[in-house]
Amino acid sequence: MMAWLSDRIDRFRGRGAHAPTVPPMDGALRPNTRLEDAAVLARINAPDNLVLHQGGVLVSSGAVVHALDPVTGVVSDWRRFDAPVTALCSLGDRLAVALADGRLMLGDQAVTGLPDRACMTALSAGENGGLIVCIGSAESGPADWKRDLLKRGATGSVWSVTADGVATQIAGRLAWPSGAAAAQGTITVAESWRHRLTQLGGKPVVTDLPGYPARLIPAAGDGWWMCVFAPRNQLIELVLREAAYRDRMMAEVDQKWWVAPTLSPATSFYEPMQGGAIRTHGIIKPWAPTRSYGLLVRLDAAFRPIASYHSRADGRFHGITSALPFGDRVLVASRGGNAILSLQEAQP
Amino acid sequence: MASDFLTRWRYRVIPDKVVGEILSKNWIDSAIPFLFLFAAVAIFGTLIDTMFTAGSLGGLSRTIGEYLLIGLGLTIVVMAGGIDLSIGSVFALANLMMLALGGVMGWPVGLAALAVLATGGLIGLANGLLIGYLRLRAFLTTLVMLIIVRAVVDTLLLAYTARISSTEIITPAWDFLAFGTVLGMSASFWTAIALAVLAHIFLTRLRPGWHILAVGGSRRAAHNAGINVRRTICLTYVTCSMLAAAAGIFYAARLASLGNDTGLGLEITILTAVVLGGTSLGGGRGSMFKTVLGVIIVVIITNSLIRLGLRSGASSLVLGTILLIAVAIDVRWVKNRAKLLARSYVSPTYFALPPLQLVSRDPASPYAINDLLSVAEPIGVGQVDGPEDVILDAEGNLYCGSRDGDIIRFLAPDHTTREVYVHIGGQTLGLAFDREGSLLVCVGGMGLYKVTPDRQVIKLSDETTRSWLSIVDDSRMRLADDLDIAPDGRVFFSEATIRYEMHDWIIDALEGRGNGRIICYDPRDGSSRTVLSGRQFPNGICMVPDGQSFLFAETWGCRINRFYYDGPNKGRVDSVIADLPGYPDNINLASDGNFWCGIIGMRAPAFDLAQKMPGFRRRMVLQIARDEWLYPNMNTGGVVKFSLNGTIVQSLWDGIGERHPQVTSMREHKGYLYLGGIFNNRIGRYKIPGADPDWTAARAYWGAKR
Repeated sequence: MMAWLSDRIDRFRGRGAHAPTVPPMDGALRPNTRLEDAAVLARINAPDNLVLHQGGVLVSSGAVVHALDPVTGVVSDWRRFDAPVTALCSLGDRLAVALADGRLMLGDQAVTGLPDRACMTALSAGENGGLIVCIGSAESGPADWKRDLLKRGATGSVWSVTADGVATQIAGRLAWPSGAAAAQGTITVAESWRHRLTQLGGKPVVTDLPGYPARLIPAAGDGWWMCVFAPRNQLIELVLREAAYRDRMMAEVDQKWWVAPTLSPATSFYEPMQGGAIRTHGIIKPWAPTRSYGLLVRLDAAFRPIASYHSRADGRFHGITSALPFGDRVLVASRGGNAILSLQEAQP
Repeated sequence: MASDFLTRWRYRVIPDKVVGEILSKNWIDSAIPFLFLFAAVAIFGTLIDTMFTAGSLGGLSRTIGEYLLIGLGLTIVVMAGGIDLSIGSVFALANLMMLALGGVMGWPVGLAALAVLATGGLIGLANGLLIGYLRLRAFLTTLVMLIIVRAVVDTLLLAYTARISSTEIITPAWDFLAFGTVLGMSASFWTAIALAVLAHIFLTRLRPGWHILAVGGSRRAAHNAGINVRRTICLTYVTCSMLAAAAGIFYAARLASLGNDTGLGLEITILTAVVLGGTSLGGGRGSMFKTVLGVIIVVIITNSLIRLGLRSGASSLVLGTILLIAVAIDVRWVKNRAKLLARSYVSPTYFALPPLQLVSRDPASPYAINDLLSVAEPIGVGQVDGPEDVILDAEGNLYCGSRDGDIIRFLAPDHTTREVYVHIGGQTLGLAFDREGSLLVCVGGMGLYKVTPDRQVIKLSDETTRSWLSIVDDSRMRLADDLDIAPDGRVFFSEATIRYEMHDWIIDALEGRGNGRIICYDPRDGSSRTVLSGRQFPNGICMVPDGQSFLFAETWGCRINRFYYDGPNKGRVDSVIADLPGYPDNINLASDGNFWCGIIGMRAPAFDLAQKMPGFRRRMVLQIARDEWLYPNMNTGGVVKFSLNGTIVQSLWDGIGERHPQVTSMREHKGYLYLGGIFNNRIGRYKIPGADPDWTAARAYWGAKR
């Protein structure tokens, strides 16, 4: 009762959870340019999911899965699908491929038991040789993620798929789950729209992140890589609280030009601009308010951030959607920057 | 949409900006005491039937007169940051001395009064020396003075009461002081009112008065500004004590009575009046009018309480409570006024632009996007900060404005040598050469200035006619923006907004209201008057060669208009282009008879939508940091060439947006186009293919001789 009441008061006064403020990037998340300065391994149009499969590196881009030579950066078509690929995961000898039309392939076998047109955002290997599937939303498709955010959607779910291809739901009512990590018998899920990592059946483990977390990838040694595909922004937080403006914007304005997070730096003058982002003396300030950002976070085994890699408001490599440890390097897919980066991990 | 219709009328009928403008006035401090007075009059007027009869008012006016005299003195002390508690004792001493000198000693009334005033002045001087020069605490010093003077009065009373009481003073002057009325009000009342008017003029119009306010506002700053702080403080106490003594003279004449309780607790009563009026105890804020209000309130309340039969103790209790409340309000108000003002000043209104026509890279479309300006040769990279306008003289020297308040000149022919042509002080914006070769310039925050060929800076105009119904004084110019000169020498220039200063100019976009105006300066009689008002960021004044009209851009309205200042259509405004896809800025002549217009930014659909939702913009301004506000997109701009009938002839863009992300001005000169940008650190030079290589604007304007 008290919690409900204080929530109402907070909503009225615009405080607490209802304040349009954004946590600062500080501590382990202090901005740097390590991502911006990383070597470009390959140029691929909108690369999405990097996986290590049978010793080779694969990366999805649209409806194509490319094979990538991790040393030379040479890219070749590996396999072409008839719908955009939304997520990949290697299960030893078989590759799991999620498609935008809702099909999930486990090698050549189709997975059964998933809802129709499931909006799959991430696939991860389970601890028992199975697969964990994140379904971002029951209402929006994978290309419609901005609408799901603006509608404050919380209809996502997490499913478990056995090795013989049968899916069962293990959690629901999540706000765009888009990354999962299985360890020590528990599953931790990145809930993007709530800016946090949640342990299924338990408590949130990391809360109030300054961006939208997505895929979680096991790091070499202990811990995880967390991809943050877009930053939080005060104006967007405000728009999320302004129902009338939000609804009219979704109805009247082209999705490309919404006040919403994006994966790539602004390219069109039809995109909304914030005061601090005016190009002054020919440059945009790195600390300018921005709707896109490049951020890769190194977490320890308890999911606490211990290091971070940034491409800031004036940078190119925004929209980080996946990372892949490879030898002493980490390959990073910058979907907004159309590039695969090769990052030398700093000692935390 | 229906909701749009309602929103539009809601903002048309209820102008929110009035609230912010009223809060920005200094007299708003008097609003609370004024309401208080109104309430007091209403309450006691109904409780006591005879409250406002002529006789009652005459009686009240005596008390008011005496209190007001002391109140004026205390106001001056408080405004200088001090306090004087000894006024009650001085008042009692003056009463006693007046009766003793005039009655027992038989001095003439005038001489006795002078002696009493001098004594008051001496006591004040003692206070002033101790507090002003020896820097003792005002509160303790005057408290001690209260006790000492009270002790003197008591001693004298013991010795002389019998002798004084037995004598009566009967002279016409004395009678007039006591019972004389003018228009039903007492002599003391009129004296006090006259003094209040004088003191008001003194405090608001004269140098020593300003010094008092400056000392009260900040002692250290006043000292640093060269004000003699000690003397100023000392003199406030002298004035205060003399006024208290003057009040004592009137009191003596009126009641001719001696008593132990004369002036007892008076300091609290007067202090209540002063603080209740709105003069801040912290110093630096206050006025005589406020004290007049406060005294009237206090007298009405004390008088009414006595008439209602409350015991005198209860009356003090009420006064004390009022003082507490007044001090509390004062403290909160002074602390939060600026915050309240800042929160309520930006006042968005409903504004719908015509449908956005999308532009593309298709060269056949009228506003075709290209990258032609991205190869413009840079001039003075890093040597200029915000060249809003650029202009060239007959010798080909290049002039531009800057954020630092200079006019910078790059010498012909290669424009590599930079010099500060003149320093003016405010951000230099629109430039134009007149017939004699003087450079006229609009300076943000300052007005219209002229720079003669021998580099003398002359102010031409910094105020215009005040409009009748505006709450804020709009006669001063805040943001003179661009100008052009008619063939007869009259200068037409725009003031982009009357609500924001130069550094806040983009915030004007969030209001969506016509805050700007166009002003005509006539060099023949040096007058300025507003010729067109209520325009959205008017800008880019450019004469049409017909000698009757000029073009101007309305930046936030995405429009280009033509205004007739002479001829049969005088006063008419025609639309030339009503639906630009971007925000227009300066307009200048092109060699082929068309006009160039700088585009400072592009319309973004999300911002256009916000313009139709003023409530959203208002909450945005209130809730999130300023750098995060949604603005018009100013990161892409260019230049368009249009004809007088509104056809787009050509468009030049920097689609990449690195060299010229926004263009605020451009001038064609001998086949080149020179580009300026208010956020830029360079001037661009673009070779116009096929343009007349001999054409200069000066010659096109003023004929072959220049």
